[in-house]
Amino acid sequence: MSRETSFTFDGAPMAAVEGQTIAAALIENGVMSWRTTRFGDRPRGLFCGIGVCFDCLITVNGEPNVRACLSAVEPGDDVRTQAGDGHV
Amino acid sequence: MAMSDIAAPTVDVVILGAGAAGVAAAVVAARSGCRVTVIDNGPTPGGQYYRGAPPIDSEPSSGPRDLSYAELRAEFDRLTGSGVIDYRSRRTAYAISRHDDDFVIRLRGDDRHRGEIADFRARAVIVATGAFDRHLPFPGWELPGVMSGGGAQLLVKGSGVIPGQRAVVAGTGPFLLAVSGTLLEHGAHVPAIVEANNPSRFITRASAIRGGLSKSGEFLGYVSRLARHRVPYLHRHRVIEAIGVDRVEAVRIARVDADWRVVEGTDRVIECDALAIGYGFVAQTDLAGQLGAQMVLGADGGLVVDVDPNLSTSVPGLFAAGETTGVGGVEAARVEGLLAGASVADHLGRPPALTRRGLDVVRRDIATWQGFAEALHATFPVRDGWRDQVRDDTMMCRCEEVRAGQVREAIDDLGARDTRAVKLFTRAGMGWCQGRICSSAVDSLCGFGTTQSLGDAAVRPLVVPVPLGALANGQMEG
Amino acid sequence: MNADVIVIGAGIVGACCAHYCAQAGLSVIVVDRGSVAGGTTGAGEGNILVSDKEPGPELDLALLSRELWAQMAGELGDSFELDAKGGLVVATRAATLEHLHRFAAEQAEAGVIAEPVTAKGLRDHEPHIARDLLGGVFYPQDMQVQPMLAAARLLQHARSTGRVTVLPETEVLEIERDGSGAVTGVRTPTERISAPHVVNAAGTWGGVVAGLARVDLPILPRRGFILVTEPLPPMIRHKVYAADYVANVASDNAGLETSAVIEGTHSGTVLIGSSRERVGFDKTLDWEVIRQEAQQAVAIFPFLADVQLMRTYGGFRPYCPDHLPVIGPDSRAPGFLHACGHEGAGIGLAAATGLLIAQAIAGTNLAMDIAPFAPNRFEGAHVA
Repeated sequence: MSRETSFTFDGAPMAAVEGQTIAAALIENGVMSWRTTRFGDRPRGLFCGIGVCFDCLITVNGEPNVRACLSAVEPGDDVRTQAGDGHV
Repeated sequence: MAMSDIAAPTVDVVILGAGAAGVAAAVVAARSGCRVTVIDNGPTPGGQYYRGAPPIDSEPSSGPRDLSYAELRAEFDRLTGSGVIDYRSRRTAYAISRHDDDFVIRLRGDDRHRGEIADFRARAVIVATGAFDRHLPFPGWELPGVMSGGGAQLLVKGSGVIPGQRAVVAGTGPFLLAVSGTLLEHGAHVPAIVEANNPSRFITRASAIRGGLSKSGEFLGYVSRLARHRVPYLHRHRVIEAIGVDRVEAVRIARVDADWRVVEGTDRVIECDALAIGYGFVAQTDLAGQLGAQMVLGADGGLVVDVDPNLSTSVPGLFAAGETTGVGGVEAARVEGLLAGASVADHLGRPPALTRRGLDVVRRDIATWQGFAEALHATFPVRDGWRDQVRDDTMMCRCEEVRAGQVREAIDDLGARDTRAVKLFTRAGMGWCQGRICSSAVDSLCGFGTTQSLGDAAVRPLVVPVPLGALANGQMEG
Repeated sequence: MNADVIVIGAGIVGACCAHYCAQAGLSVIVVDRGSVAGGTTGAGEGNILVSDKEPGPELDLALLSRELWAQMAGELGDSFELDAKGGLVVATRAATLEHLHRFAAEQAEAGVIAEPVTAKGLRDHEPHIARDLLGGVFYPQDMQVQPMLAAARLLQHARSTGRVTVLPETEVLEIERDGSGAVTGVRTPTERISAPHVVNAAGTWGGVVAGLARVDLPILPRRGFILVTEPLPPMIRHKVYAADYVANVASDNAGLETSAVIEGTHSGTVLIGSSRERVGFDKTLDWEVIRQEAQQAVAIFPFLADVQLMRTYGGFRPYCPDHLPVIGPDSRAPGFLHACGHEGAGIGLAAATGLLIAQAIAGTNLAMDIAPFAPNRFEGAHVA
């Protein structure tokens, strides 16, 4: 039933299942962190998993601070590691 | 008066949350003829428990057949399909306020549509926003691969992805068993379940409650399944450190006494690539708090919305159901949802949808599940000894990267004596999550632990951030 | 317990009073019913402004205070984020701009550095500012501090002299007076603290504390809400505000007034004000205020439209009917001094207030004339 789709992470193509969250798709592709913190420059990934903690923030199609745990992958998404506040 | 307030459509009831409580409340209120709008941030109804599960599940349910979750969910889908219930998924109520005698509920789209805002007016509101995992900071908990038990569970159930090949499950409560079960089912290896309390008394306590036998049976079922998989279920043990460079590579565990103080010389390292952890749950009370609803400390010491026997809060027209009134599990949430739906209809002068007998069963079930929740919290409390493992360099606030030493300095050197001062001095709780993850731990580290202190920490004018441009322009979609 | 001086209120004004009293060799006990800096100070933005003050006693106080702030920062090391960022006042309408330029010229005569800025020049100061603004005035003397840290660090420093004791969570129930009417100390739930001088530095609650000594002080709360955005890279260099702000500060309107005040912070968030309402101590969030503040902020910095509002906070500014603070000895109760009623300028004016209070108690020469701030100036006056 589930259909395959694809997106890119930091430019690299990755597969996902339609409807899957960005966090799930990344973890399935072996990516555990996709953000670095503002002060300590430390890696972060999925934490609460239900939209409460905002630790999994990521940049999607140029838009920073998207919660990867709640947002479903859309075909062709350009997903990028977010550094610090995500604004460039 | 804002323009958007005038233009906002008015409904009888807005139900915030489409988990077990919200679904049940919506069906009962709709059966009474109320115009109901249900708001939920997920893609489908079901909340944290049922999301990702098949719509008709096999969970045992007490009471009349047509009040089981499976039946309620089927009716919810029918009523949504026929337009009787206006169900809005992927929406978050970012704020709620009073306007004349009505409530104004302010909605925002999901993170990819966050500029899409809309206001609703309702004559009554049911808050059924659930709960999230409680965390007790420890060295290394900010490493990638460490995640909440609820998050791990939803990752597997909702997306079919396991967080790691070797996942340690730790914290306290029977939920650890559920998480482990899900992980095992999907092919993960669980090297250990690290339970800080002694769960054996749960069986006796739960079995003593009328109707509690099914739960203790469920619990024993989990335990025997774990035994089949040869997963060690360690009692009175805690993860005291997550070890790794850029992700978790191992955890250090140790035996603890009844107060959770580490027994010296018992620590050892378990290699893993994921840690799912949680120490019970924190009720999501933001929206009720915005309206100034009275709060109390629940059986687990956490802040919950104070309700009367009809689930009415201290704010007329505002009701609360499910985990927001006290963390008690999915069955308690469902029956509270039923009662809240009936109470809201009564408040609006609508004919009752439940028979007197039906209502009696609901009330009896609520009492049962309250007893169950008390047994749960008596067996799986949080003990003060966790603070001993918090070093000065242990991260307290993940968002603002505030360490425990800074919190201690605020108290010892700067003269902070309340929640607000600690927050303003240290910035703990001021970041993206607005203190949801750290505030109960910061509160405990400071030794506060009162309704006042936890309530002050839970003041959140916005549930989720909203773009200034959207706020400046007012309503963008109805 | 006893001391030379009891200061009621451990906010920024109380901290400055303790600091300068200790410097003058006096022993001080600072009491607060809550936390250090937990009241009005904690709800402030940390403004040390000269730009928003018209020539007169308050401006003189502000000019003195900013010198003292710079001095204190030097003494304590940079422990409270003092930032001499400068203020930029902008105009959206021709009439406002004209008024602003006149106002700046008057201020310049009173000793304020005020540099008129053309419409095009605004972008040299603020690269991300809206293109349709008409011009403004740059005030290099405006500064900002983290007010809570400033209060806490000053008290910490004062304690290190050995002359100052700080007692948080100590509520004063009564200010005691002898037969002649002079104050003799305070009573708390657990003890009596005696001192020949008691300073009322209770901010918004200054009127209530005056009442504990049975003297009247017309200090009322004026509510304000601040919006706080998500963290950003440095985008806004100065404190930037609309010229209407000055008119609103001085206004006697009881209804809602908003005018844009925008600035970045060390932590990356942007603070957006300002609103003023007289609604007593009601803290209920008003979404119309949020909407207006958001609208005005976006009009000045269009990039803010895509920036998210993360939280808001509200607080109460203590104001007197004539918008001047109350500073100095109260002739109605010998030994009782007031240091409150600074409205939205308490952080900025705290340093000079503390110095003047210390001088008044020590009996040394006053750094400036405090007659305009006299506590009994409202006697017999009709208070609306």
